[in-house]
Amino acid sequence: MIHSVIIFNTSGVPRLTKFYTPIHQSSQTLVRKIYSLISTRSAGLCNFLDAPELEDFLGRRDEDEKLRVVYRSYATLHFVFVVDSSESELGILDLIQVFVESLDRAFENVCELDLVFHFDEVHHILAEIIQGGLVLETNLEAIDSSLQQAAQARKHSFASANPLALGVGGVGPRSSGLQTPLGWLTGKLTGVGPR
Amino acid sequence: MATNMRGLTQFIADIRGARVRDLEEKRINKEMANIRKKFKDGNLDGYQKKKYVAKVLYTYILGYKVDVGHMEAVNLISSYKYSEKQIGYLAVTLLMHENSDFLRLVVNSIRKDLDDNNEIHNCLALHAIANVGGTEMAEALCEDVHRLLISPTSQSMVKKKAALTLLRMYRKHPDVIPAAEWALRIVAIMDDRDLGVVLCVTTLVMALAQDHLEPFAVCYQKAVDRLFRLVVEHEYSATYAYYKVPSPWLQVKLLRLLQYYPPAEDPAIRSTLHQVLETIMNNSAEQSRNMQHNNAQRAVLFEAIGLAIHLDTNSPLVSTSAVLLARFISSKETNVRYLGLDTLAHLAARADSLEAIKKHQGTVINSLRDRDISVRRRALDLLYSMCDVDNSEVIVGELLRYLKVADYALREEMVLKIAILTEKYASSYRWYVDTILELISSAGDHVGDEVWYRVVQIVTNTEDLQAYAARVVFQRLKSPASHESLVKVGGYVLGEYGHLIANEEGHSPIEQLHVLHTKSQFCAAPTRALLLSTYIKWVNVFPEIKPQLINIFERYRHVLDSELQQRACEFYALASRPDEDELLQNVCEEIPPFPPRESALVGRMNKKHGATEDKRTWVHGGKEANLDREATKQGRVPTGDAPPTASPTATGDRDVMASLQGLDLSGPSNGTSATNGAAKTVTPTTPIKPSTSTHLAAGPNVDRWFEKLTYTNEGVLYEDVQIQVGVKSRYQGHIGQLAIYMGNKISAPLTSFTTKVDVDDPEALSVTFAKMPPTLIAPRSQSQQILHIECKKFFRTPPTISISFLAGAHQTISLRLPIVLTKFFEHVTLGQAEFFERWKLIGGPPREAQSVFPMHLTSQNEIDREKQRNVVLGYRLNVLADVDPNPNNIVGAGVLHMSVDGKVGCLMRLEPNREAKLCRVTVRSTSEEVAGEVQRLIQKPLSVDAAS
Repeated sequence: MIHSVIIFNTSGVPRLTKFYTPIHQSSQTLVRKIYSLISTRSAGLCNFLDAPELEDFLGRRDEDEKLRVVYRSYATLHFVFVVDSSESELGILDLIQVFVESLDRAFENVCELDLVFHFDEVHHILAEIIQGGLVLETNLEAIDSSLQQAAQARKHSFASANPLALGVGGVGPRSSGLQTPLGWLTGKLTGVGPR
Repeated sequence: MATNMRGLTQFIADIRGARVRDLEEKRINKEMANIRKKFKDGNLDGYQKKKYVAKVLYTYILGYKVDVGHMEAVNLISSYKYSEKQIGYLAVTLLMHENSDFLRLVVNSIRKDLDDNNEIHNCLALHAIANVGGTEMAEALCEDVHRLLISPTSQSMVKKKAALTLLRMYRKHPDVIPAAEWALRIVAIMDDRDLGVVLCVTTLVMALAQDHLEPFAVCYQKAVDRLFRLVVEHEYSATYAYYKVPSPWLQVKLLRLLQYYPPAEDPAIRSTLHQVLETIMNNSAEQSRNMQHNNAQRAVLFEAIGLAIHLDTNSPLVSTSAVLLARFISSKETNVRYLGLDTLAHLAARADSLEAIKKHQGTVINSLRDRDISVRRRALDLLYSMCDVDNSEVIVGELLRYLKVADYALREEMVLKIAILTEKYASSYRWYVDTILELISSAGDHVGDEVWYRVVQIVTNTEDLQAYAARVVFQRLKSPASHESLVKVGGYVLGEYGHLIANEEGHSPIEQLHVLHTKSQFCAAPTRALLLSTYIKWVNVFPEIKPQLINIFERYRHVLDSELQQRACEFYALASRPDEDELLQNVCEEIPPFPPRESALVGRMNKKHGATEDKRTWVHGGKEANLDREATKQGRVPTGDAPPTASPTATGDRDVMASLQGLDLSGPSNGTSATNGAAKTVTPTTPIKPSTSTHLAAGPNVDRWFEKLTYTNEGVLYEDVQIQVGVKSRYQGHIGQLAIYMGNKISAPLTSFTTKVDVDDPEALSVTFAKMPPTLIAPRSQSQQILHIECKKFFRTPPTISISFLAGAHQTISLRLPIVLTKFFEHVTLGQAEFFERWKLIGGPPREAQSVFPMHLTSQNEIDREKQRNVVLGYRLNVLADVDPNPNNIVGAGVLHMSVDGKVGCLMRLEPNREAKLCRVTVRSTSEEVAGEVQRLIQKPLSVDAAS
């Protein structure tokens, strides 16, 4: 099971935190702890980390649940999944890739700012991939179509409430003035591959 | 969309603009105060509520504690506008947890959304339950979620979420899910066309099957079938290919699911699975340039290797895997090295022979010095698992050397592992003592109490070791810095066995005292207390240093620690008694050996890694560790699930009859031992035990069809408006072949078609599919499945076949297969004289079964001789002419063939009486069970209350 999904940038500022099991301490300390574990690891080390240190934070209920941190870094962002032994490590790496690719689709060249200003949408995207700590869908097309449906419904409800408004809403275009794209995140995967 | 709310955008921009944290906090506090006020004033419209809740959420995501907005979130959920509802649900899943009181307020809104016709509302509700649902929600909403999962009108999107939501409910409150009852229905969805649905349902099945292996057993063949279609036949929609690998997540899940079950018996399933694993391993041979592709490919490969190891550690597949893994552990990619070591540890934990792994010992030891702590951890685990008597000194030596430079995070675990390995594979006691003391000296703080307790136990129980141990401890204590644990061991060992070395140069009592007592000032109170006990023992054995010792006790009488003070006072009093007093001697008697007990170390280790029904299918350590674990697991399995296999034969009787069992009727007659057979009478009929998991289809027709097929080779076994099941069979000796024809009578396909055969006693009868059964039957068409049957021993209960399928609703039909004992009979021809010779030889009860029953007459009130003859022939007994002078009587003979228990002869006489409308059947056989069974079978279709 996936216990938490956390995205933070290279200076440790959280951009998304989602906990599928209740945590026992403030999420800020947890993020800081994970950040300190990961930021010290140079590129080229593996993407997995045993994390006995985190067990206090996540409140181990079972004695035998060994938690592992699986992370991947893209441009300025670290995507961190805390999982237990029932998940395949490489499978989680693939899942992070799927998550990033879905973000990319939804935001057309996702950048860190998108995650800041559209945090709700990021959560909705995550909700289409992982539900309650379990993998829900991995097919980009299917994820996209569920998101489209939700966007349609939102648009619809917005339009019915404001008959005079021009069609606003939906996923995609950023509002002007906020565009400082960092480029394709998917192309910016750092710290992997043979060295 | 957040950006539709200008206030929110401004808020976010402000926070981003805050240069220092103080400013950020200030801005947030201001905003929170504002929101609190707005909420208090009330009178907000939906848009405003949405906006403020969104601000609260953003604050929450930044990591601040928020205490407002819960109530507004609850209100938003029941909004009819999707945009508000969505934010409301997001707030519920983020701000609340399963024990929040607020959740009670949303149960009704959630139920309403579950029942809504709009599936995106269903999805929001399901997602909320899956994230925050607790016991209460599980109780209230379980039925609704289940309905969404199985309803034929549910969209894939809804089914997926419903499956995972159900799983969440099961985890939180297992009692609300009647897992066994829903098993077939849920497993049927594994045949869904949408791989997303299959993935989610497989996840659900994995969790349920762990606790309910038996009811979910049919998922095994579903999983194998699905893997075959994905991996070998490439049957999947293109969008589910992830970098050209067909849904690696699903493959991994299915491969993992298969590891929960013992290897399948059915040869068809085994060979299919073998083919799947082989293909996966071959696929991995070709490396591609694309990293993502390789990643996905290997995710599947590692799981496949795990399964191969689970199935059979001696198979060629595992040898191939070992070669692959060896290559992986020296790979350039860190991830691959990591997983390679991890999987090798799995292999080492299961394999009978460690030879293949030992070849790479050097590489593994080098991995202890990898740059990456994650890899070092895995290398440590692997070394622990691959250690045995031959390489223990090398491995433990390496570990000890590495311990000195190891990461602090690793040390405690290392110490435990070293201690266990040293004890388990010690080649000599000296080596054991040396190593453990070295361990205690070098790893000090990381040595748990269990470690030194164990040393003491072993030294006490091993007489040869005591002097040596005392000497070594003494030497170690002489070094200026000794760890407290070492002082404890020293105190104990020298106290008990110091006198053994007291005459040696440099080990005199006063020197021993000196070495130990100089350490005492650096030790905590419990250790000092232990040292005091050492001193009192010395008072007994070393009278020459008694004054010094008494002096020490004297001083300790005034320390503040009550435990130390009490000991000192008591010991002082004891030591001050006159020399001839025997009390001291008695008190300080040498410690008797400890009763042999299991090492507490291993217990601690297992506690660390656990052995409950978590998803791990193995633990680190050697093969035995895993066997132990299996055993404890077996013991824990609730007995209710597995049907107890009733053995229809009482072995005691069988032994007596063993000499006669192979009696071939055409051979020379055997001795007379047949007459003194066991006295047990055979119960003429045994009620057919229904299989525990399924209910047999019933009805007069079903019985009639079955009955008829017990003495004919082909015909209808079952029929209703949707499906027809026909049977054709052939038997030769103990082998048979049965073809089942399943006809779909409706104009829609029967999907999720599942067939499963249950045999009561697999030791006696084996029934296997020739190949994997199909999962779909096209409209108005027929599918054929071949069953191979082998009779090994006597059996009574016919096997059952369970057929389930989806045709709108989910249907399950369980039928008895017409496989009865007589099917394995072969004709025997005997003349009159021979017949009666054997008849008499076998004798009366218990090897005779006889009954008289009302007989069915023809419409002319005549004996139905034709039918009687056909029935006897149908039960594969040869009808012998010219044996009985009465033409109405029928005499039959046959030999039962069994592959394990050999052949059993059987003679039968059928004597109808027209006037009385009664018929008498007498069966004699060298096996009393066979006689009873044949008599029961023949009587059935002939008696008047037979269905026809």
